[in-house]
Amino acid sequence: MEIPSFPIAIMMVATTEDSRIKRTYALAEAKRASSLLKGEGKQTIMKIANYFTLKLRPIQPRPNLSNYNFALDFTDYIRNAAIIQDKKWKLTNRLLSKGEVFLTTVEISRLLEEEVRRYIEQKLQVKVKSLPPSIMNRVNRLKQLFYEKRGKTSWEEIPSEVIIAAYPPCIRRLHETTSSGRHVSHIGRFSLTTFLLNIGMTTENVIDLFRSFADFKERMTRYQVEHLAGLRGSRTKYIPPTCDTLRTHGVCLGMDEICRGIRHPLVYYRRKLRVLKMKAPVAPGA
Amino acid sequence: MIKIETQAFIQAKFSEYYEKNSMNIQPPASMEKREFGFFLLKERIMLRHKSYKTAEELRDSLKKLVPSNVYYSSAYYELPEEKMDEKGWLGADLIFDIDADHIPTPCAKTHDTWTCRKCKTTGSGTPPERCPKCNEQKFEEKTWPCDVCLESAKEETIKLIDILTKDFGVSTREISIGFSGHRGYHLHVESEETVALGSIGRKEIVDYIVGIGLDPQLHGLSRIAGPNLDDFGWKGRIARGTYEYLLSATPEQLEKIGLRKGAIQSLSEHKERILESWKYKGPWAMVKGVSPESWGKIVEEAVKKQAAQIDTVVTTDIHRLIRLGNTLHGKTGLKKTGTSLAAIEEFDPLKSAVAFHHGTATVVVSEAPKFRIGDEFHGPYRNEKVELPLAAALFLLCKGAARITEDGSSVR
Repeated sequence: MEIPSFPIAIMMVATTEDSRIKRTYALAEAKRASSLLKGEGKQTIMKIANYFTLKLRPIQPRPNLSNYNFALDFTDYIRNAAIIQDKKWKLTNRLLSKGEVFLTTVEISRLLEEEVRRYIEQKLQVKVKSLPPSIMNRVNRLKQLFYEKRGKTSWEEIPSEVIIAAYPPCIRRLHETTSSGRHVSHIGRFSLTTFLLNIGMTTENVIDLFRSFADFKERMTRYQVEHLAGLRGSRTKYIPPTCDTLRTHGVCLGMDEICRGIRHPLVYYRRKLRVLKMKAPVAPGA
Repeated sequence: MIKIETQAFIQAKFSEYYEKNSMNIQPPASMEKREFGFFLLKERIMLRHKSYKTAEELRDSLKKLVPSNVYYSSAYYELPEEKMDEKGWLGADLIFDIDADHIPTPCAKTHDTWTCRKCKTTGSGTPPERCPKCNEQKFEEKTWPCDVCLESAKEETIKLIDILTKDFGVSTREISIGFSGHRGYHLHVESEETVALGSIGRKEIVDYIVGIGLDPQLHGLSRIAGPNLDDFGWKGRIARGTYEYLLSATPEQLEKIGLRKGAIQSLSEHKERILESWKYKGPWAMVKGVSPESWGKIVEEAVKKQAAQIDTVVTTDIHRLIRLGNTLHGKTGLKKTGTSLAAIEEFDPLKSAVAFHHGTATVVVSEAPKFRIGDEFHGPYRNEKVELPLAAALFLLCKGAARITEDGSSVR
């Protein structure tokens, strides 16, 4: 009864119409697939890789290529590895030659996990019209179980007032540089503006911050800030870049203790707020 | 601010250039899918979201608009004339910008000047954090391209080509390079392989090229061993960078990167043996008194030497506008000039990019360092009236360092 269980599971998960449940399910299936792959021979791995049209080729292990069994085209590598956070997956830390990244069997299995995950997430996009009540009951029970375990929302509320003491070091530096009217790079301005808007600063206060620039033009700044706040155009509210991106562009100039545990400046802010709250209750208006 | 007469003069010369040379301006591949943008000198505005079906249409526009700068999108769009979020992004060339502004150069940019906005104190080189006189933090900057700066930018470009071809396997046929017309080089990769890469993927490429997040241990550096000169990828680059660094580093430099006296002494005592060791397994485990931490610091310097200093923002921006080849640079009056990979070593940007070969103009120069255009050096000048070859005169006028004489210029 192994085989039909998969389409049924897909159908049931799709019916929940909850993106978190879908992601969790896809990840679990992908992890199972990759753990099974780790024990497989080259041929099976090649077959699966071909299914996902990866440009992968098996190689003979050679002394100067340690234990590598496969070489994967670098764009295929990036597509799957860029979201894995461990530094050993960073392209910079891989052996890259003639456009190929060298991989062990365990490593290619891990990358195929990403392909499988996306494949299943895509399958879960289908809209299921209606299911017999007996199955719907089960779906609803699953949903309930999931919420009991994970909680309905994971984000903590951000307080309405802005707490400068909780800024991450990069934002604090950008804030200081901007207030003194010194030059800040485009990405620096973008990061600062989106950060402040996301922690609840009003567009007016953000605009005021840029007044000390020699080339300040209110109309232009207002347009840009409102655009980033999602008040114009596509109505997308922008969020600041990840820590990783800030490092690439030289905005991150050094980490503190909290930085080491997070990957996004907004997460830093939430976490630091918690730390500050534990130390002393924040007086209103502080 | 450039005066009206000067602006009219620049405009007239740029117009002449586009009238005579528009046939040399080649549109990029799949031009109908690109966005074009023009900066207009007189109106001081950017005209964007333009699109053209044929080279002729584009050339006619250049003759009519006479822009001070001409750009096209590295991206391909379904509808290039629409607003950004309605264009329908189809892909983008992989582009790199190497600008002397981002590189510490041996000339230390002594030709550049800054003026404090508040007390008008001036100085040369890159501006200080605060004005030494009034403590102000805002400056006007004037930058100049010099042979040393441009040579540094060229070296970085050559390193970049090496990384792209050897590590990324990019074919030399897919690469085109050009001098931007001001302070650096542009490199384009037009390849099926990379065209669909998003911003995150391009960031990984950037990080690789700049060596961001590199962990030497993941490249085989340990207490007992390290990379070899002929290894692939960053492994080999770390070894070659270390070789190069140790060959030239002075005890003072070693001290500056944080090595202890004992380690420095040991490194200089065993210089010969270290050189010899590269034939075998490298010096990693054989020099007494050099701890793994010290090797870590040396490798950090090696990585800096081997990395190519590119503008990280340009490559990761998948909607970037970039200057079109053989069009004029509004800050210099030089043209963006392509060169082949084989010829880059001998390429002379300040000669090849000259757009005006005939005539002279008389200008009043406020201040300019010694500079070269074509084969001739000019300056330095300070508050003087000089007759210069047209290309040199335009260079100063575009830089805002000179104005055209009121009695009308003596253009022949």
